[in-house]
Amino acid sequence: MIISKQKNLDEILEAIKDNNSFFLVGCSECASLCGTGDEAALEDMKKKLEEKGKKVTGYFVAKTGCQVLGTKVELKKFKNEVEGAEALIIMSCGAGVQAAVEIFKDKHVYTANDTLFLGNMTRFRVFDERCSLCGECIVNETGGICPVTNCPKGLLNGPCGGMNNGKCEVDREKDCVWVRIYNRLNDLKRLDLIEEIAEPKDYGKHTKPSALNSKKD
Amino acid sequence: MRKFKEALEAGEFLVTAECGPPKGTDLNEMLKHAKDLLGKVHALNATDNQSSVMRVSSLAICKLLLEMGHDPIFQLTCRDRNRLALQSDILGAHVLGIKNILCLTGDYVTAGDHKAAKPVFDIESSQLLQVVNTLNSGKDMAGNELHGATEMFPGATVTPEAKPIEPQLMKFRKKVKAGSRFFQTQAIYDIENFKNFMKEARKHNVKILAGILVLKSAGMATFLNNNVPGITVPQNLINELKAAGKEKALSTGLDIAARTIKAVRDLCDGVHIMAIGMEDKVPEIMKRAGL
Repeated sequence: MIISKQKNLDEILEAIKDNNSFFLVGCSECASLCGTGDEAALEDMKKKLEEKGKKVTGYFVAKTGCQVLGTKVELKKFKNEVEGAEALIIMSCGAGVQAAVEIFKDKHVYTANDTLFLGNMTRFRVFDERCSLCGECIVNETGGICPVTNCPKGLLNGPCGGMNNGKCEVDREKDCVWVRIYNRLNDLKRLDLIEEIAEPKDYGKHTKPSALNSKKD
Repeated sequence: MRKFKEALEAGEFLVTAECGPPKGTDLNEMLKHAKDLLGKVHALNATDNQSSVMRVSSLAICKLLLEMGHDPIFQLTCRDRNRLALQSDILGAHVLGIKNILCLTGDYVTAGDHKAAKPVFDIESSQLLQVVNTLNSGKDMAGNELHGATEMFPGATVTPEAKPIEPQLMKFRKKVKAGSRFFQTQAIYDIENFKNFMKEARKHNVKILAGILVLKSAGMATFLNNNVPGITVPQNLINELKAAGKEKALSTGLDIAARTIKAVRDLCDGVHIMAIGMEDKVPEIMKRAGL
């Protein structure tokens, strides 16, 4: 899922200072699991904004905030509340914010969150990054563990010289991913998979912004 | 004194040292140290934004070392350059007359003084070695013909004291396969461990220069352990430096370096003396080591 974190309130207030009334939009998917776009987060934001003298005309949790058409349909129920607001504050990921921009052509759209990474939830609201959406998955050669993401340098051919007692040069609390990959493939008796030099990645496969139409003809 | 590559091919015991480019444009001290080493070392490495701290470019320093009469080893990391910049700098090194290159991945940016920098790592050390050999063959990474090939002599690093060692040895073999002709190792302290590493290294047709990192005090050793990736000074040496007291710590550090050189002399093909900030002590270390 997409991991997001709420900005601090001062930063939000600074961004929205030119407007006085707002409609808040959350998201029931990732942002709810992160606690940044669920009903409780929206209510909390409403309370804080009102304490600062701002008006909140209403709020709702979109089913899937990044889904432009669905969100547009859902918002019809809130026509008056939306019209009564000068601007919107979106409490989801950056994709949800830009879905709102597409829907609300004549209103300011603000984000309350920073979007961090594609993450796994390991415990309740504890997340870590294991895939960085590089567009060219190599985990079939690396025991299912992604070095592009789990190594700060994204190394494809083994540990760097900074690995120390199996720990990462950059974060001594973290295991070196190349030691993990090596140990896993050693256990699986498939070290042959990493014997050859892996080629440089083709960054041409991930020219931003990416787009995909996977509809069958 | 033979040039580095010629001495290596002739099987001489190799001695290389390091030149840390300064932060800023005043090169007086660095050039003085380099001058003191003329005729004493086979080659002098110019480090590349060492420990991710921004300094004068290693390529520029290599050119100055060359003019002084040294045979420079151009250290090139993948941290700060994408594949275009790397290849362009290798071509640049060749046209300036620089022939040796040490291919490195590079420390992560957060080790240094520009922690907000974008880390590049478009490619990495083993791939960079392949790139050098590709350019030597007259082509670039994209397969385009070059008007004039390079003639670079590529080397790399290895960390014989890495724990666990197996993944590091796997990487070492990849670097050999990628065409590395010599290795300047990370700091060696544990001689028994180094003997074991050399058993693996001797299976390959590459030259190994043992890394000798000069310590000047217990405080420095502790700092290195905490701040410099890839270096672990063992506690017994820290104790030895501590016991020597303030006055004699430096001399003890030089002794440790000299005795390590003596211990590895018959095991490998040379030594690479890293005297971070104490380059002026290299001749004294060599004297004490009997080089």
